[in-house]
Amino acid sequence: MQVGLKIWRYDSATGDRALREYEIEAPEEATLLDCLDIVKDRHDGTLAYRKSCRMMICGSCGMRMDGAAVLACKTRMYDIAQEGRVPVISAMGNLPIVKDLVVDMDPFWSKFKAMWPWLEPGYDRPDDGREYRISQERMNVVHKEALCINCGCCVSECNAMESDPEFLGPQALAKGMRFVGDPRDGATVERLERYNREHGIWDCTRCYFCNERCPKGVDPRDAIAKLGAESIRLGIDRDMGAKHAKWFVRSAETTGWLREEELIPKTQGYVSAIKQLKFGASLARHGKVRPVPIPHVARDVDEARNLRKVVQEQDRAGALGIVQGERALARLAHGGGSESLEEIYARPGSAPRPFLPGEGSAEGQGSLTQADVTPGKEPTRKRGEA
Amino acid sequence: MPLGVDGSAADGEARCASVISVIAKHDVLVVGAGCAGMRAAIEAYDAGADVAMISKLHPTRSHSGAAEGGINAALGNAAEDNAEIHAYDTVKGSDYLGDQDAIEVFAEEAPGDIIQLENWGAFFSRREDGKLAQRPFGAAGSPRTVYAADITGHVLIQVLWEQVCKRDIPVYEEFFAWQLVEHEDRCQGVICWDLLHGGLKTVGGKTVVLATGGAGRQYRVTTNAYACTGDGMAMALHAGLPLKDMEFMQFHPTTLYPTGILLTEGIRGEGGYLINKDGERFMKHYAPNALELASRDVVSRSEQTEIDEGRGIEGSVLLDMRHLGAERIIERLPGSRELSMVYAGIDPIYDPVPVRPGAHYHMGGIETDNDGATEMTGLYAAGECACVSIHGANRLGGNSLMETITFGRRAGRSAAEWALSHTTVEVPESAERDAEARLRDLLDREGGERPWKLRDELGSSMLENFAVFRREEQMARQIEIIEGLRERYPNVYVEDKGEVFNSDLTQAIELGNMLDTALCMVTAGLVRKESRGAHARPHDYPTRDDENFLHHSITRWKDGGVELTKSEVRFTKWEPQERTY
Amino acid sequence: MSTTEPAVKRVAYYKGCLASLSAKELDSSTKALAPMVGLELVELESVTCCGAGDIHEAEPDYYLHLNARILAYAEATGCDMLMTVCNVCTLNLRQANFMLQGDEELLARVNENLATVGVPAYSGKVDVRHFLWEIAEGEGYEALKQVAHRGLKGLKVAPFYGCQILRPSKLMGFEDPDRPWSLERIIEACGGEAIDYPAKVKCCGFPIIAAREETALGEVIQPIEQAIEAGADVMVTPCPLCHLSLDAWQQKLEASTGRAFKMPVLHLAQLVGVAAGLEEAELKFKRHIVDPRPALERLEV
Repeated sequence: MQVGLKIWRYDSATGDRALREYEIEAPEEATLLDCLDIVKDRHDGTLAYRKSCRMMICGSCGMRMDGAAVLACKTRMYDIAQEGRVPVISAMGNLPIVKDLVVDMDPFWSKFKAMWPWLEPGYDRPDDGREYRISQERMNVVHKEALCINCGCCVSECNAMESDPEFLGPQALAKGMRFVGDPRDGATVERLERYNREHGIWDCTRCYFCNERCPKGVDPRDAIAKLGAESIRLGIDRDMGAKHAKWFVRSAETTGWLREEELIPKTQGYVSAIKQLKFGASLARHGKVRPVPIPHVARDVDEARNLRKVVQEQDRAGALGIVQGERALARLAHGGGSESLEEIYARPGSAPRPFLPGEGSAEGQGSLTQADVTPGKEPTRKRGEA
Repeated sequence: MPLGVDGSAADGEARCASVISVIAKHDVLVVGAGCAGMRAAIEAYDAGADVAMISKLHPTRSHSGAAEGGINAALGNAAEDNAEIHAYDTVKGSDYLGDQDAIEVFAEEAPGDIIQLENWGAFFSRREDGKLAQRPFGAAGSPRTVYAADITGHVLIQVLWEQVCKRDIPVYEEFFAWQLVEHEDRCQGVICWDLLHGGLKTVGGKTVVLATGGAGRQYRVTTNAYACTGDGMAMALHAGLPLKDMEFMQFHPTTLYPTGILLTEGIRGEGGYLINKDGERFMKHYAPNALELASRDVVSRSEQTEIDEGRGIEGSVLLDMRHLGAERIIERLPGSRELSMVYAGIDPIYDPVPVRPGAHYHMGGIETDNDGATEMTGLYAAGECACVSIHGANRLGGNSLMETITFGRRAGRSAAEWALSHTTVEVPESAERDAEARLRDLLDREGGERPWKLRDELGSSMLENFAVFRREEQMARQIEIIEGLRERYPNVYVEDKGEVFNSDLTQAIELGNMLDTALCMVTAGLVRKESRGAHARPHDYPTRDDENFLHHSITRWKDGGVELTKSEVRFTKWEPQERTY
Repeated sequence: MSTTEPAVKRVAYYKGCLASLSAKELDSSTKALAPMVGLELVELESVTCCGAGDIHEAEPDYYLHLNARILAYAEATGCDMLMTVCNVCTLNLRQANFMLQGDEELLARVNENLATVGVPAYSGKVDVRHFLWEIAEGEGYEALKQVAHRGLKGLKVAPFYGCQILRPSKLMGFEDPDRPWSLERIIEACGGEAIDYPAKVKCCGFPIIAAREETALGEVIQPIEQAIEAGADVMVTPCPLCHLSLDAWQQKLEASTGRAFKMPVLHLAQLVGVAAGLEEAELKFKRHIVDPRPALERLEV
């Protein structure tokens, strides 16, 4: 089949960049990686990209296709070629580009290493010199986090990291959760203290790009939520983000509806909130907040209050509250047990599988020349820059 | 350097790529950072040596990570088992070519090594009682394959990388190891091409451990990654070292059609069937007891026979998992399912998957003793690139991952011990000038042939003439073909003349490595006039000939070609028997 | 003017926290608009905050139960659809719904707990949909076209989707998360011109706007700047949290950049409401920090 590709070529030393178009002949089963090989072998040997396993396990070939990070070896080109689409291929985001599609992974690995990414054994080692005895169910608390192949697709798209480059990021934090949730690790509290610092857990903006882009189903956003849940469960909750989250809980069990007007002082502290007075006043002028907060209490709120007491006594505290839903949610990707995929999707409220290129309405409008896609160009403007 | 139309430098002048510097010296240098390399480095560190790794990939990208089914040790969790049974299974699996003293050491030490990995945090699958689960695998007398769903290699790579990070072991990452430095009858370092930044760089080492993996990319249909091009074996070969048993290349029975991507033996371990186009479980004709879980060479041959005799579909047979049920497949074999869906467009819950034999594992490699030492002082080897020999003429599934750990550890320790008892390391200028000349030669060539042509021809011809079934005429022809390619190789040119991430250059070097090691393989294969393990010659020599061929083949590089000798198989307990499953 | 009455669909209505307080204009516009597009809203009272990402992170088991309670009360109205007007509520409720629908044991456990506190059981038969989806296609869309007779008169509208109405797409699934079309379709049906710009699917920063204000502002500036550059008159969003970020926090951008953006942001129901001729009493534009009325008046919309 005929495949057209537009590839952003980039030389980090000179800053030269060019969008080159290539037309190639490729077999029908070809992936994006196969097409890049054909380009490099037969058209332009200077094209630089990483590859190794070509079976979605080594994590080498992360790159952007039309601004969205993918594994080149996982991306089949058939549908795209049939549609006559010519995708734009560029390097992953949030990492400095070395050449063409090769990024500098040093910042990525240094954040990884900052997580203490190795088991810190506790004092309860098996005394017979054999393996720890752990149930599969207990290990499965982190089975998604253990799938991570360090490809960088999540990091590439992280909105929080784009705005704050020092944010540890989805990959590192998911790795952190892999150890926090491992029963053999004895350093849970120390880990959570570290992950709760600036640029840690509470920096996540919950854009869910990481979950969307991850080619292995790690769901880093959920790993971060698990870390937050464990932190709060263990009383590591001094960060403003934790306070923010706890205020939602307090609101739900007292008034039902969020006590919005108190959110900022409860998050930032009453002293800091004074700095927000002018801001608060402008909101008050437009009726968005009232000068004196009168709780807006939902009907039957005692049910919500009692509900919290009931669930707290059960054994699903912390991250287990998220883990308990994983089996059901995995069925959305897997298509369920005995039901066929068609049967699952025919159920009311069920979701179609994640979109592959070429699916969905042809009416969709997407921007192919995003600032973020163009290498060497300044990424979308940061705060404070005129 | 302005970006020209093809990325080449505008001025075309020779650039500073040719300046070599000895950038560092270490006690132990490990080349290759897969399971064997990382385990060796960890052990060397723990033995007190200053160790560094050199790898042309970031360590977690190494091909060990693609292993799926599991790692063998006689833990006895699933059923009665002990090291002796494991050793016997391995000896029989090797078709009696394996060195039995090494195999006994291996089976003895494997359980301790697995427990250590688990204690380090490896995420293995568990039994009901919380112990490590063990599944049945090919030709195993007892279920002893420890596993992590079907991503065991990934889990091992992760735990080893974590332990490397814990020790802060330096890695010369994306350094392409090119040439061994031999000086005063010792190996004293490695000359590399810095793939990421450019330039020839030498790293000195009192000892060097090669852990560079296999060379499956010699074949068009292979489970191996692009990186598996036999670089370490070629470096050793060119340094005059012996390669042992090179003719034995394992073809894995269940590689996806058409890509060659691996579907684990664990699928058959969980109960999957192999069927031909008539829906028949044909293994009952070839291995009536073990059926689908016979030894890999037996299964590959059975499949190939079915295909050759017209009972295949599009050059493949079918792997059927439907009867296992969705729940079991999703829980135990989710990776395999995803691979089938993405690369074959088939969901194994509902349909059988087309599979065929594909080049998978080099039983042969650099000759070492039981401590990983090679003939050259200061040079060690472990893992797939080495041949101790544990696997003889055929490897059992699950044994190679275990070998990387056990012998990676042994090689790392013995290298460290030697290094710590010696003080000097020196890299002579002549070695560097040599490498510089080779580099200039490759880079300066304009016009000629692009490497992919030779690579494709090698891949197709090896698959045709030196695969599951081998014939005299085909092997002889293959030697000619390889010689022809070797003649054309000096005219291969590199389009990218740049320094930064010049994978065009490294791929050209890899091609040369594959040609030389392939020549060793076929030369040894032609001379072995018997069928043993993975070397099957049903048309002219269909049986094993212990009288004349119960020995290892040794290939050396001499005067630009292959010199063939032999070496003894080391026996302890087991006499060669007829091998049936 | 068409007089065909749309068939009336009865739906449970969960307005969420912001529509109850700081974004009352969203609630009033929705309530005024819904009958015009054939929706009879049965407002749920015995409910709480859906928890947003916050309770999902702080106490995820509680999050599941709070949302199960909302779903149970929705089911108790006899409607088979629960309609939301907020991205975050939609994600939270849909996620909880899938957890319960896909795991019998979990559903049984949650129902037992609900029963303990006097909440009816949930059997998993409610579908959670955002108002956006109701009017972007099908009968709702047809009704929309009919009521938007006043039209937007070529008003240039930059749609801002935000995150959680699109991602994770295996939970949301209405449209391609990278190439969404629903807002553009509605804008055009109302006679406006849809403006395209890259940040329309990125994050507004609201979840961290209190705890990490600087980082959040680095996010919220992107859609606003890009919309202005692309020539938009106004922006529209289906999420009141995004609205708060873009509208209320816009003044903080002006403080830090020295630029007066003055980009008005409308709720979806307001945009359609303008085209349908709703009054200020229902639209309540005076509650916005950046007043949309000048831009609308300019075009005599």
